[in-house]
Amino acid sequence: MNEEKSWRCAKCGTELVPTNVIFRYMGRSFSHEVPACPDCGRVLITKELAQGKMAEVEALMEDK
Amino acid sequence: MLSAVTRSVCPVCLKVLPAKRAEEGGNVYLEKTCPDHGAFRTLIWEGAPDYWRWGERHTPTRFRTKDNVRRGCPYDCGLCGAHRQRTCCVLLEVTGRCNLRCPVCFADAGGEKTDPDIETISGWYDMLCREAPNANIQLSGGEPTVRDDLPEIIRLGREKGFKYFQLNTNGLRLADDVGYARTLKDAGLNCVFLQFDGVSDEVYISLRGRALFTEKKRAIENCRAAGLGVVLVPVVAEGINLEQVGAIVDFAIERLPFVKGVHFQPLTYFGRCEAEGGRVTLPRLIRELERRTGGRLKASDFAGGTAENAHCSFSANFLLEADGSITALRESACGCGAPSEMTDHSGTSFGMRGNLCASGDLNNAVDHARNTVARRWGGELPTEEPPPEDMQSLDGMLYQLRRGRFSVSAMAFQDCHTLDLERLEDCYIHIVSPDGRLVPFCAYNLTSEDGTPLYRDR
Repeated sequence: MNEEKSWRCAKCGTELVPTNVIFRYMGRSFSHEVPACPDCGRVLITKELAQGKMAEVEALMEDK
Repeated sequence: MLSAVTRSVCPVCLKVLPAKRAEEGGNVYLEKTCPDHGAFRTLIWEGAPDYWRWGERHTPTRFRTKDNVRRGCPYDCGLCGAHRQRTCCVLLEVTGRCNLRCPVCFADAGGEKTDPDIETISGWYDMLCREAPNANIQLSGGEPTVRDDLPEIIRLGREKGFKYFQLNTNGLRLADDVGYARTLKDAGLNCVFLQFDGVSDEVYISLRGRALFTEKKRAIENCRAAGLGVVLVPVVAEGINLEQVGAIVDFAIERLPFVKGVHFQPLTYFGRCEAEGGRVTLPRLIRELERRTGGRLKASDFAGGTAENAHCSFSANFLLEADGSITALRESACGCGAPSEMTDHSGTSFGMRGNLCASGDLNNAVDHARNTVARRWGGELPTEEPPPEDMQSLDGMLYQLRRGRFSVSAMAFQDCHTLDLERLEDCYIHIVSPDGRLVPFCAYNLTSEDGTPLYRDR
């Protein structure tokens, strides 16, 4: 999380904070804690998350 | 739009004939007339989903062509330059011997046949490295487990660079030898493709010549203990086990995640076929799956293949939810989960269905198909661990997907009555002949009505 704490929102300049976010994908929804801008709500999907658990969900649900 | 005109063979002399796909009352028949042996008419499609809309024919995959087209399909197999699809899965028949004498056997296995030696098999692998690199390997026969050096054959293939191995087996040795599944897994086997025709002994007596249900269950349990995934592979015939297709799916669901799915194979009349069962076409099977699962699987969940010919297969992926309900994971899947390029009516590619959009590669439908099969059927089994507290979280969803995902699919092989040469030209399941050629499955196993083979044992 140290790396994530160093991120700031490109739009607001505000430091991102860990936030429980609801994702929707292929008609399903799930929650996960990701760094998010407290002002505008934009979230950061880290490379680790994108290439890890999210990629696995894609592979399992879509044969990707 | 698919044409009504195609080509087939005479069931008596195997001579190539013009053929017509004739629709009548929602059914489609393959009609052909041999000047020497008369007219033939065979049911190839029963009702909905509509035959003509089931799937467009894929555009030919551009793979290395050979100047070896002489008499044309199906006589020049090896593969000939007119073939339209590369190899996805290749069958290595490592023995002609078998420890059963099934009334139905496409390979007509049994007797005192000689096994190819390990040097011959090594030569097959070397040929595949050139002609079909990265192909998924299915070890077949005969019954491959009658060979004591089967682990060595798998290890040799691994050393040659092949990554996915599935074992086409009746499961008798897996049932009787508790440590055998572990031995095969350690050698590099990914998946057991288990002949599993039903959930009662009567079915096995009809199709396999003896009661086998207890052995099947024991084989599956031994695979589970070894961490080896299993796909149930029922031969389906009217009057024998069609009414059990729902029970077979339920049997698989009860054994998730180590049973990964069910792959139906409607009975085909080639090789040895002494059973009394009737033909089951793909649409009939799809509708029976909905009916016999009480609507838990729906006919609309299934779609035809795209890397192979659409009329050869269907499949869908499902998820067993935490509450026991079943959800289809895609509205449209294909025979091996592979997307492919799409074409408009002028034959112009305009994009592709599903996943390959991300890669932008128009030519790798087979690559995708084989990777999908390897992952779907051969992926590592999940570890035993308690579920996360929050099943609505990403971790909760992954937990359920890893343990509750399964596939239901089917492949309809062709015999001398149903053979449509357009389908054969699109085939991506190939067998290595003893002399080291790649021959499409339904060409290699083609026999005339009296059992005379076109390729096998010749």
